[in-house]
Amino acid sequence: MPERWSAFSYLVTNLARFIRPDEVTFSGVNSTPPMLACLLAKRAYDFDFVYINVAGGVQPTPSVIPRSSSDPVLAEGSTAIFSNEDFYDLCTRGGMDLCFLGAAQVDGLGRTNVSAIGDWHAPKVRLPGGGGGAVMLPTARRAVTWRTEHSRRTLVEKLDFVTAAGGLHGVVTPLAVFELRDGSLALRSWHPEASLVEVQRRTGFAFDATGAAPTPPPGARESAALRSLDPDGQFEREANVALR
Amino acid sequence: MIPMPFSKVVPLAGLAALVPDGASVALGGSFLHRGPFALVRELIRQHRTYLEIVKQSPGYDIDILCRAGAVARVRAGIVAMEGHLGLAPAYRRAVERQEIELEEHACMTLTAGLRAAAYGVPFQPVGGVHGSDLPALNQWASVPDPYGSGENVWVIPAIRPDIAVIHVNEANERGDARVYGTSHWDRILSRAAKRVFVVAEKLAPVASFRERPELTLIPGFMVEAVTVVPHGAWPGSCWPLYEVDYPAVETYMQSEGLPEAHLAAAPECREPVHA
Repeated sequence: MPERWSAFSYLVTNLARFIRPDEVTFSGVNSTPPMLACLLAKRAYDFDFVYINVAGGVQPTPSVIPRSSSDPVLAEGSTAIFSNEDFYDLCTRGGMDLCFLGAAQVDGLGRTNVSAIGDWHAPKVRLPGGGGGAVMLPTARRAVTWRTEHSRRTLVEKLDFVTAAGGLHGVVTPLAVFELRDGSLALRSWHPEASLVEVQRRTGFAFDATGAAPTPPPGARESAALRSLDPDGQFEREANVALR
Repeated sequence: MIPMPFSKVVPLAGLAALVPDGASVALGGSFLHRGPFALVRELIRQHRTYLEIVKQSPGYDIDILCRAGAVARVRAGIVAMEGHLGLAPAYRRAVERQEIELEEHACMTLTAGLRAAAYGVPFQPVGGVHGSDLPALNQWASVPDPYGSGENVWVIPAIRPDIAVIHVNEANERGDARVYGTSHWDRILSRAAKRVFVVAEKLAPVASFRERPELTLIPGFMVEAVTVVPHGAWPGSCWPLYEVDYPAVETYMQSEGLPEAHLAAAPECREPVHA
């Protein structure tokens, strides 16, 4: 039976819910879900925030929603070009409030591996590499990641390699939302069609679940915004993500 | 009348011929956007080998060079075809089989090394990196703040590529070059490398550069040679002229081995190259 709240919508909507008023918020390369989350937040929420991205965009108004989250169209309508060195320097000097970063494995301390599965020197799978992670995760005020697969091989007790440390503020998967609490990832909420037991069964690290509850369903404006960003469902098809 | 210096414009094949086997080559752009892909393909046609590729976010370029066996070493921050296209499969295979050497960076540690070279100093501090396994892997040092804040900072040794190749929207025969949209990492690459090559979509009059000098990303005196390849960043994008040709990228990814048909279909083979 197909889920009532699609995994794709769950992922993008819950990433957007990490965005706060007036903050500088960044989406980078290889980051389609956070790019959509930032654009969704612009359309669905009443507050404003400073959206900057890896294409150099500062408060852009792209005429099309690109498949590549580094596409230059993401600077369209921008009144400045804030290039790569600019946004990294902004981050390391403490001016980046929220930064979305990719991860292949995440551990209970909110550290990430985006480098290799297996021994780094003789990898079973060579992963893309961390990009911004090692510099941005410890220096951004908050960093949030997503995983399209929620399993014991993606949310792990022990990383095969620590690409970036510093404590992710949040993690969103098709199944659940975690947030950093006292230096460890704690469960904030789970997909309303799942359960706490399912999250525990499918998560490789132990976590605090105090106060956790089913995730509030998407509001009408959140749903409408995502539909407007993905009218023919291409992003959802290409994301190829499922609750189970 | 200001005397006109000799033109730096050469044919694409001539530009590629200036890249020796074993050179350390920094490539501009990011993922599928405004990369010097025509030059990359020409290096393959000329059977270049043992190259070291330096780029924060390579993808198509490193992948096709790996397919051609042109690469010995990569210094990169993140490597992928991006988004729904996923990992760069030929690159991934080459690393997994240990056919090429990888120096894994964060994009900003690579940039710090390039900044050291650009600034003329042996190393460069970089923010962050704390808690990562990358310093141990690369034997990076950390130093205490000599001014007594108590903070420790990671320092990255200088990275000085032999050549930087930058794909630009417009250049002139003296080598001045400008881009539209983000400059990605091209500015620091052009300052860090010993030699700078430019691949331009088109030539523009020197007078137009004089009218808007602040738009010039790379001044001509730093540029050794220019070639003109309209659509040369294909199958990637070059803002605002053209978008990523996704069907061409997907066809490339579905092919095996040296992609002869893809190389033959490239714009530099289809359109007249003005020299």
